Amino acid sequence: MSALLEVRDLRLQFGGVTAVDGLSFEVREGEILAVIGPNGAGKTSAFNCISGFYLPTAGAVVFDGKAIVRAVPELWRRLGLVNLLQSFGLYRVLPSRVTKWGMARTFQNLRLFRELSVLENVTTAMHANLREGFWATLLHTPGYRRAEAACVREARGWLDFVGFEDDEQLYVTQLPYGEQRRVEIARALATSPKLLLLDEPAAGLNFNEKQALMRLIRKIRGLGVAVVLIEHDMGLVMELAERIVVLNYGKEIADGAPEVVKRDPAVIEAYLGVDESEDA
Amino acid sequence: MRDLDLALKHVPLRAPAPLFERPQPPKGVFTSQRGFMRALGLLAVLLVAVLPFMDASRYTMSIATSALIYVMLCMGLNVVVGYAGLLDLGYIAFFAVGAYVSGIFTTVLGWPMWAALIATIIACITAGIIIGAPTLRLRSDYLAIVTLGFGEIIRITANNLKITGGPSGIHGIPSWSFGPWSFDDGFSLLGIDFPERVVFYYFVALVVIVVGVIGAGRLAKGRLGRAWKAVRDDEDAAEAMGINTYIAKISAYIIGAVWAGMAGQLMATHLSAISPNSFQFLYSALILMAVVLGGMGSTPGVIIGALFVSLAPELLRDFAEWRYLIFGVLLVVVMLFRPSGLWPATAVLPWLRRSRPTPPAFTEATAVPASIMESVDGTPTTDAHEGDRA
Ligand SMILES: Nc1ncnc2c1ncn2[C@@H]1O[C@H](COP(=O)(O)OP(=O)(O)OP(=O)(O)O)[C@@H](O)[C@H]1O
Ligand SMILES: [Mg+2]
Repeated sequence: MSALLEVRDLRLQFGGVTAVDGLSFEVREGEILAVIGPNGAGKTSAFNCISGFYLPTAGAVVFDGKAIVRAVPELWRRLGLVNLLQSFGLYRVLPSRVTKWGMARTFQNLRLFRELSVLENVTTAMHANLREGFWATLLHTPGYRRAEAACVREARGWLDFVGFEDDEQLYVTQLPYGEQRRVEIARALATSPKLLLLDEPAAGLNFNEKQALMRLIRKIRGLGVAVVLIEHDMGLVMELAERIVVLNYGKEIADGAPEVVKRDPAVIEAYLGVDESEDA
Repeated sequence: MRDLDLALKHVPLRAPAPLFERPQPPKGVFTSQRGFMRALGLLAVLLVAVLPFMDASRYTMSIATSALIYVMLCMGLNVVVGYAGLLDLGYIAFFAVGAYVSGIFTTVLGWPMWAALIATIIACITAGIIIGAPTLRLRSDYLAIVTLGFGEIIRITANNLKITGGPSGIHGIPSWSFGPWSFDDGFSLLGIDFPERVVFYYFVALVVIVVGVIGAGRLAKGRLGRAWKAVRDDEDAAEAMGINTYIAKISAYIIGAVWAGMAGQLMATHLSAISPNSFQFLYSALILMAVVLGGMGSTPGVIIGALFVSLAPELLRDFAEWRYLIFGVLLVVVMLFRPSGLWPATAVLPWLRRSRPTPPAFTEATAVPASIMESVDGTPTTDAHEGDRA
């Protein structure tokens, strides 16, 4: 089992705040890894660095043998042009490119396309994989019709896979929260990922929905897709994860199997806080 | 499966087959939105095509042709603002580029009209890239400012250069000609004379709009259109879905630019004279208003908006100096009562509206036995110990 994703000494600073402080971990092919930590520990920030949205201050992220964080020549740093160059797409890998390489993600606060129907949300995610030219679209060539039909079929396959049973023509805002979460996962899967990053997928779900989510995540792993999830629900994490990485104040405080992490004194302290009356 | 291989690039992960076949959507005129919109479109085209047979006076025809050119412009802006969500405050600049390029190439250089059309398209693509390439990398506020400046720069340049005729503009732009016959010659059909070139431009504009409506509709439904709408809705999420948002934005911008340039050429040849006054910021604002008023991203809405904005001042002509005031009040009233436009893009015909099926009620049968959760007792959880922290 080789490492699919390798994160080494990742650091991310926002002005004075160090959101991620020397994070290192790796994800092997087809495993379920959980990233946990108290609120504000830097979990989402780490995800954003890994998927190319934020540019880390230091460190390396290698996905499937390709570097996501690019080195910037010292000259540009000295001239203070780094931000400008990177906003023009130089010396960085755009998130869309990372997605094409096979890393998909969901967002902590649902970010579905609100003005598209459920089906269109999923077909939109097939953008990079679809052979559909400009002129073919304008002329409605047979190739275009075939591509469109295949795309819709594939999208419906994903909607069925995640157990979405509502009307696919509805706008996402018409759906209950739990269904929206499902659509977001279907949308991420439609990009054909090797690695799926889920940012608090169980937030706001009821007990039944959480159970269904656990089954779904196992099913996704069954397809050979590695899953990294951020989660606050310990029950779900302990049940699901094969390995757990614990963050606190941007630092990694534990990495290991659930049974080991669960007993780690540093982890218990991070979650429960040090009992002040005992200290005094 | 072979179809899928042809349609999709090599991807490591394929969706499992759908669990059930979806029913074919209905196709009838009254049973589907698409069928109804097509019928409505056909009816509208017929009505517009019949107008010259009713009243072919010079005044009516020239106002109707201007209205159609407005419709064309608004449809182009709709791709930029409505589909891709890029706020363009200087759209008229591309219209001006089209008008001036075709004017200069045909009068000063004496090129034939079709060659001038090609030059127009190339000029608009170039202008689109020059303005769009640096600004579209940034968030859309910058684009609004840059396009606002661009619109004024084009107008002021046209006002001051010699080749553009300065403030008086360019005169004597020739008509389209096909061999020995040109639009100026006219002909008679079914006993009715069509002596006026404006009538021809009316029909040309109509045909171009029909082609544009069909083309825009097809683009909007395809891969590129979905990418545009995704970028408009949520740029970060679109990036996360593998859409290069920069390419999506710049393609919308250039398509809009080319379309406006073609409208500009149509106007230049239709009026045979152009001057910088026709390209003021006011017109950029009016077109944008038409798009917002009609409903961003909605073709029927935008057509209604364009007709309203171009025809209302004419229809209110009796009120003389009051007309722009009445026009303004009307606009405010419309926006108050229909904030997402007269015909919003997400509008569904009232008799086709779906209601969300109610989710199944929670029952004991669907519940998972609690024993699954028992195995994780004793682990530190955030919720359970929240109170202990203090
Ligand atoms: N864009 C930003 N600008 C400045 N500070 C930020 C930004 N994003 C996050 N931070 C800070 O970085 C730290 C880590 O935030 P992050 O969102 O990664 O936490 P998290 O572990 O995902 O928390 P939660 O469990 O609440 O989602 C926080 O202190 C936050 O205030
Ligand atoms: Mg977070």
